[in-house]
Amino acid sequence: MSALLQVSNVVAGYGDGPAILNGASVKVEPGKVHCIIGPNGAGKSTLLKAIVGMLRVREGDVTFKGESVKGLRPDQILRKGISFVPQERALFPKMTVRENLRMGGYSMRDKAELERRIDEIEERFPILKERRDQHAGTLSGGQQQTLSMARTMILKPEIVMLDEPSLGLAPKIVAEIFDIMRVMTDEGITILLVEQNALMGLKHADWGVVLDLGRTLFEGPGKEILNDPRIQELYLGGKKAA
Amino acid sequence: MADMVQILVLGLALGGVYALMGSGLSLVFGVMRIVNLAHPSLVMVGAYIAYWAFRLGGVDPMITLPVALVILAATGVLLYKLVFEREARSAKYSEMTVLLTFALAMVVEGALGAAFTNTQRVTSPDYATDAFFIGSVFIPKGQLYSGIVSLTIISALALFLKYSAFGNAIRATTQNRDAAELLGVNVNLVGLVSFAIGIGLAGAAGALVSFVFSFFPAKHWEWIAILMSLVVLGGMGSILGTVLAAFILSVIAAYVGFFFGATWSTLTFFVALFVVLLVRPQGLFGEKPELA
Repeated sequence: MSALLQVSNVVAGYGDGPAILNGASVKVEPGKVHCIIGPNGAGKSTLLKAIVGMLRVREGDVTFKGESVKGLRPDQILRKGISFVPQERALFPKMTVRENLRMGGYSMRDKAELERRIDEIEERFPILKERRDQHAGTLSGGQQQTLSMARTMILKPEIVMLDEPSLGLAPKIVAEIFDIMRVMTDEGITILLVEQNALMGLKHADWGVVLDLGRTLFEGPGKEILNDPRIQELYLGGKKAA
Repeated sequence: MADMVQILVLGLALGGVYALMGSGLSLVFGVMRIVNLAHPSLVMVGAYIAYWAFRLGGVDPMITLPVALVILAATGVLLYKLVFEREARSAKYSEMTVLLTFALAMVVEGALGAAFTNTQRVTSPDYATDAFFIGSVFIPKGQLYSGIVSLTIISALALFLKYSAFGNAIRATTQNRDAAELLGVNVNLVGLVSFAIGIGLAGAAGALVSFVFSFFPAKHWEWIAILMSLVVLGGMGSILGTVLAAFILSVIAAYVGFFFGATWSTLTFFVALFVVLLVRPQGLFGEKPELA
């Protein structure tokens, strides 16, 4: 199958600083949940930022549907159909839930269509409808994550990239977050996520990518990687601990 | 008792102009994180435009107001393009902008002094020295009108920020610049427009100030301290907070003036600045400062 998004031997870092990514490669196939795992400092978040254009790709290439998207600005990447939810959830705390959703469609010309999309999203996530006039900053962590993810769906992106969506959430809420990812893939959205919690991420992912020291070590179906002895050594300290 | 009501009325009447001056400062700080120390010197430019239009052409400051707004907004665009846009990429952005705006205030003051001397000026349309009476309480017409016009302009700004797509983009950029950019907001354009609006509001406030206070080029130093106290009490970047703070503090200042004398009245703002920073640094509506 041809890749939807292909990251090939990317070298990138912050500003003029040292390279964090030293030849990272990831192949993203349509309709699946991909999970990038790796120890702290492996370059997981950096990889997402490089794809989305927040960091310059110094070497290597990023192609989307066979076309290079290297060097594009974040808003141009967005228009191509790749949405990014950074670690901090990227909400506007003093804007209402509905205003946050509306900002999700800021780049849409057709404002009537935007309102229709927001209504659809509210139907799918009743909690957002219930809280529509509440400031986003007053939502619980799980609700904020739901809002962040739902907001990306306004634009009907082809790929949604999530940086540690489970960060700081209770296990029960984390399960809900992964349920939302399934809702997204049912809509035909491809997911590329970064997870600190490797077990959790791989359990829910179709495809796992293991990153270390800015390089791709190996990749494979999520459940296989979970049982790969190399993972046990590298990442889980020799035993399967949650 | 009548005195107490009278003082309340006078305090409220002044609050409007302060609110208008402060809201421009607050908008610019919110979006661009620039503490624009030159803001009141640009208010002064607006005041001189209104003064000369009245003195030379007999034009009412209320008519000059939109003109001053547009001239200063255009000045804002120029300043942004020439100075601040470049600094946006600087690692020492905060320090640099403080120095730059300080220097700008000096330059504006010097230019005004050279052009118009340091004589005290005041625009004197008929209403500036007239008053309404409700029983024994008088309301100076000039202050009342300036308050009403200020609140009208601030309301228009608030509606624009709340209900227009671009206004939402401005608020979003204020609250989370990176997130706004990721959603396709051109944050540089937002910065430019906000800066132009903020400086334009300084011009508009200047036209009102020209008949509410007597002024001379160096008077902006007194105002920056007053405006900073409003912005800090309101919560850095919160326009609603700034407006409320303007009314609260100008009423308190009016009472202080009545009980302790006019000299102490201005001190109210400075004391408020210290107290707020000690007791509630985030102000009325600001976010708690991060300790990380």
